[in-house]
Amino acid sequence: MRRVIAALAAILLLLPFFASPYITALLLLIFMYITLAESWNILSGYTGYVSFGHVAFFGIGAYTAALLITQKAFPWILASLLGGIVAVLFAGVIGFICLRLRGPYFAIALLGLNEAIKVIATAWESLTRGGYGISLPPVPDLRSIYYAMLLSATAVVLLTYRLASSKFGLRFLAIREDEIGAEGIGINTTRYKHAAFILSSFFPGVVGGVYAYYLSYIEPESVFSVSITVKMIVMSMFGGAGTVLGPVIGAASLALVSELFWAKFPYLHQVMFGALIVAVVLFIPGGVVALLQERNILPRSRRV
Amino acid sequence: MGEKFAQIRMSRRKFLKYAGASALLGLSGCVLPPATPAPVPKKPIRIGASLSLTGTYARTGQDQRNGYELWRKDVNERGGLLGRQVEFVFYDDESKPETGAKLYEKLITEDKVDLVLGPYSSPVTFAASTVTEKYKHPMVATGSAATNIWGRGYRYVFQVYTPDDFYMDGAVIFGAEKGAKTMAIINENTVFAKGAARGATKKAKEVGIQVVFTEEYTRGAPDFSPLLSKIKALNPDILLGGTYLPDSVLITRQAKELDVNPKMFAFSVGPALPDFYKSLSKDAEYIFGASQWEPSLKLPGVKEFVEKYKAAYNAEPGYHAAGGYGGAQILEEAVKKVGSIDLEKIRETLAAMETTTIFGKYKVNEQGLQVVKPSYMTQWQEGKREIVYPKEAATAEPRYPTPPWKERK
Amino acid sequence: MPVESAVTLLQVAIGGVLLGAVYALLACGLNLIFGVMRVINVAHGELMMLGSYTTFWLFFLLGINPLLSLLFSIPLMFLLGMGIQKFLVSRVVKAPELMSLLVTFGISMFILSLALYFWSADFRSVPYFTGSITLGSFAFSRPRVIAFGIAVVITLAVYIFLKKTKLGKAVRATSQSSEVAAICGVDVERIRLLTFGLGSALAAAAGSLLVVIYAVNPSTGQTFILKAFAIIVLGGMGSFLGAFIGALILGLAEAFTSFFFTAQLSEAVAYLLLILVLLFMPSGLLGERE
Repeated sequence: MRRVIAALAAILLLLPFFASPYITALLLLIFMYITLAESWNILSGYTGYVSFGHVAFFGIGAYTAALLITQKAFPWILASLLGGIVAVLFAGVIGFICLRLRGPYFAIALLGLNEAIKVIATAWESLTRGGYGISLPPVPDLRSIYYAMLLSATAVVLLTYRLASSKFGLRFLAIREDEIGAEGIGINTTRYKHAAFILSSFFPGVVGGVYAYYLSYIEPESVFSVSITVKMIVMSMFGGAGTVLGPVIGAASLALVSELFWAKFPYLHQVMFGALIVAVVLFIPGGVVALLQERNILPRSRRV
Repeated sequence: MGEKFAQIRMSRRKFLKYAGASALLGLSGCVLPPATPAPVPKKPIRIGASLSLTGTYARTGQDQRNGYELWRKDVNERGGLLGRQVEFVFYDDESKPETGAKLYEKLITEDKVDLVLGPYSSPVTFAASTVTEKYKHPMVATGSAATNIWGRGYRYVFQVYTPDDFYMDGAVIFGAEKGAKTMAIINENTVFAKGAARGATKKAKEVGIQVVFTEEYTRGAPDFSPLLSKIKALNPDILLGGTYLPDSVLITRQAKELDVNPKMFAFSVGPALPDFYKSLSKDAEYIFGASQWEPSLKLPGVKEFVEKYKAAYNAEPGYHAAGGYGGAQILEEAVKKVGSIDLEKIRETLAAMETTTIFGKYKVNEQGLQVVKPSYMTQWQEGKREIVYPKEAATAEPRYPTPPWKERK
Repeated sequence: MPVESAVTLLQVAIGGVLLGAVYALLACGLNLIFGVMRVINVAHGELMMLGSYTTFWLFFLLGINPLLSLLFSIPLMFLLGMGIQKFLVSRVVKAPELMSLLVTFGISMFILSLALYFWSADFRSVPYFTGSITLGSFAFSRPRVIAFGIAVVITLAVYIFLKKTKLGKAVRATSQSSEVAAICGVDVERIRLLTFGLGSALAAAAGSLLVVIYAVNPSTGQTFILKAFAIIVLGGMGSFLGAFIGALILGLAEAFTSFFFTAQLSEAVAYLLLILVLLFMPSGLLGERE
């Protein structure tokens, strides 16, 4: 097991030196989606608070980093980390408002919040340049971005793994299964919900910053796009929400599947993608991880 | 218990080994350079482009692809480019900048295309041009009017469209000639529409028209009546919109409903499309639109292009299709001048040359920004879209002022 | 206040109410489905879009009056809605909310991409009723007044159906508690089928009316669905009447924000209202308590 992980790590670390830039670009986007899906999973998969607005953290990170890079000449790595921190601060504030809500109310509140932020980012032209978007200096080398995304993905997966195998994380699950009951046995649910919310907001902010630098151009429509939230949800669910490996498997496999589809069926791949989602929910509702567990390919452990 | 655990571990190990091995296989398959065929002297020239075949820009992206495709057929019938047949490698970027960037990365490094052509839309062009710049691949960027793309010091990207800043010049200059004094400007808050409005504001100042009202709105806004109520109170001579099709249709409809009567309506995108008239029928009369290109233009090759396009796609070509064809012609011209696929020389040629395609004139400044192509003003007259400005291209006299809604039949 | 500006303000209010009526048709159907099944139907916007296209094609190909085409689009989407419920959604009604959400999202994507494939991303509109009816110094947009009238009639009819008929009462009973309803002899499966059909039919009516006042393309459903979500929270999730009132409030709020501030800001109103409501009355205006 260790040897496999070590081999995989070595491959991923050395890959940019022998793979084509296209493969590097493909993989760095997969790492980005792993980070996003896994972050969403920390909140929504483990505590059951389904977020429809998680892209807000991504967008906030992207804008923070883009502004720091272009206005204050910050190095991009620092700017991206600060993007994550601003996202956390933001999560801290809105958590007080939104975490009092439950079920679909919470989901729709975050959806609305993201839309409101998008409008603000568009209208506050003196700061964000509004719909003109922000151009950043071009990226000399994909490798550094690749490693930043790989690092983020690894960090968030390790974090989730730690959570899943700790008492701290067990309390998240208690909230998901029965919040009132959890409170009854003395869990400070408010505290744990806030913790989950904040933990789930940091990495989307960071990769938002890296993404802005990678693409060298951002505008509100693209970094606050609902479709990014949707991807996080679909990828997590496909792999298996509330598991450590689920979002990783989901993000990687769906990204590869759509990469394959798209070359062959430029017009109809979205149709097939839609059908695939329906099929997965109807036939493997627990996601790929549950399927593998049923077949005893993966152990039935919380640490998976 | 222990045994069972070991079993599970074993199977997990097996699984991971299998997964790792297959990942390796898959990757190495991608990493290996594609098998190079024996060097045949007449191997085709491969040109790559990513286009928005699905998503927000699907319609216009498809039109542009049709334009490229028609050019390929034509050039191959003429015996090809540099005596070699032309092949396209197209991908769908789903109207997303990140996908566009990844695809140009793929086209250049994986597919190893000889040349690239531009994607559609400003956001995708922004992202794609960063990639082509990195690989020093000259890109004729048909499909974007956004001036901002050319303010970044890039050397390998060349504009085909009239820049957004100059889009509404015709309307403003014409209005001033007719004695208009005041103008209200409204626009969608996205990059191209903002640019069109910014350009109109600048031009208005130059020709002495006072801008009495400006406001922006969001894509998909379902109701313009509050905005139009404010404009009605100011009663400007010109109502100018930095719009796309659906908003231009809605603004026109609601202007009629609220009886807003400027002497001139002018919109950036919308009125120059056939769908504008289909959506509004007679209410489209008198409305001015800006157009990159019209099928009635008297430029060499336009007539043949329109006929061939109709035969191939059973539809009248719009400017996105013509832009695709014209953009490819510009690249063709540059390659012919150089006489080989030498990217650096092609870049130099694109930067310096002057030519006329079916899409209009082409010449760029040191930034790569289009400087000679005018924007044409159209007006709906008796159900026909006539070119009314500039005068040398006009197919009809402009009708001014627009009669109040109540006096129309 | 000078007379002139009072007239303008009233004019703005008229515009807001007229806009609210179309929101209402969409949101009422969505909320009906949510109330009975606790399913947030993400594909609702696409069902609306299909209603728009039905009306458009009937007008474009056969010259059928857009009002008459409601007689086609409504039953058509009723059937499609029932089909979606029977074969897809019914399998996940009892699963966690996220599951049904995902299924309807997949359906939405499927319909949207097929529509793009067959009909392209062209914007379509039916130029049928244009201009306005003037009463004194007020202008009432003709297409919007007609849409408003029909929206009110249809929602009223559904409201009366829910309140007065036996079947309607069964729908409401299921909405309050499907277990209790089942014990009382209500065929819950059938009620769900009916509800999904009814909700889809309302979406179709919204779509048919929208294509007369707006230019529609396959993505239009997505633009409106987000606001419909905000409206049902505003009015109270599961409350049919609440969705109607919430829609009118949103229409008015957008119109006045656009008038007093900017049109750009008016697009954020839905979401700002949503957050305020959630803060101060978490179950919405007419929603049931949690």
